[in-house]
Amino acid sequence: MKQLLVHLCAFVLGGCVSAPPVPTPGPSASYVVLLNNSDGSTGQIKLTTRAGESVLATAGQAARLAGPPGQMFEVNRAKISRDFGAAMDSRPPKPVSFMLYFLPGGARLMPESEADVKKVLSEIVARPVPDISIIGHTDTAGDAQVNLRLGLERARYVAGLLANASLDRRNVAVESHGEKNLLIPTPDNNPEPRNRRVEVTVR
Amino acid sequence: MKMLAKAPWLGVSARFAGLAPMLVSALVAGVSTAALAQDGLIGFVKSVTAEASVTVDGKSIRAQAGMPLHAGFVVKTGPQGRIGMTLRDNTLLSFGPNSEFVVDEYLYAPGSGELKLSATLIKGTLQYVSGIIAKLKPDAVAIKFPGGVVGVRGTEFLLLVEEEKS
Repeated sequence: MKQLLVHLCAFVLGGCVSAPPVPTPGPSASYVVLLNNSDGSTGQIKLTTRAGESVLATAGQAARLAGPPGQMFEVNRAKISRDFGAAMDSRPPKPVSFMLYFLPGGARLMPESEADVKKVLSEIVARPVPDISIIGHTDTAGDAQVNLRLGLERARYVAGLLANASLDRRNVAVESHGEKNLLIPTPDNNPEPRNRRVEVTVR
Repeated sequence: MKMLAKAPWLGVSARFAGLAPMLVSALVAGVSTAALAQDGLIGFVKSVTAEASVTVDGKSIRAQAGMPLHAGFVVKTGPQGRIGMTLRDNTLLSFGPNSEFVVDEYLYAPGSGELKLSATLIKGTLQYVSGIIAKLKPDAVAIKFPGGVVGVRGTEFLLLVEEEKS
């Protein structure tokens, strides 16, 4: 058969060129592609195999997993969508975080943050299966242990406001970081409105 | 309050302050830290198309949107299957048909610096969107495949692993 092919080649083409590489399924077809982040920036990935390392730093750049180190190629959109369309279509929406600010010393929201609660609620109801984390924070005024409790009190207060969204309780994580996770770094015993906050992340 | 005093994030320092939205839970709706650690909740399934399953400790369950994910889970999709999920540090993972993916290790306690995402795409297709672990500690993220590993510097990538024919 092989001989026949050689003869055919010789006859038809007047010489035999090696057959074009057929994309064979198998490890040789495996590859990785770097993408842009949603904010337009691009990070880096480092591919490490037994053969060595390749660093990809440009969006659209790809490398074969079984290829020689440092050898990159460009992938067009058509191939990306053919190979990865299903995975890309299934990507969940990006988590969104909100900051709600509090009046000093208790679990009462600043008036402008009261209005923001609606935004949080609409983000929650816009997602088919949301899970949320609610983290309470304080400024450094007062005792750290008291502030840990105050942070939890604030977080629970917000959880109560969001209970309208009838979330499965299992999908709501409530906690306090007290005065240990300042948005605006300050010395101890420093009232700072921007540190008196609850962060709500909706996933 | 005893469990609060033990919580790892008490060691959190000001250098994490700017990354605050990302610090996550020691308490889940009143559940204690100890219970959470045991519970090992690390994320949720957000979308499923056709056949996909999640296996933990050898028990395989048909995947559904909203299903919780626990450390050490394996996800598999069928010939038409697709699945998308979100982890606690906001990492997004989504898979196309005929995929198999194992989370080997997942640690997320930013305050104490315990951060790790180590997982393997055995076969199939993955879209990975990095979360807070990759931001705080890039070296703590390793997405492996048979024969190597992809390291991450705050980014998104696609990975296709064709199954080895034996």
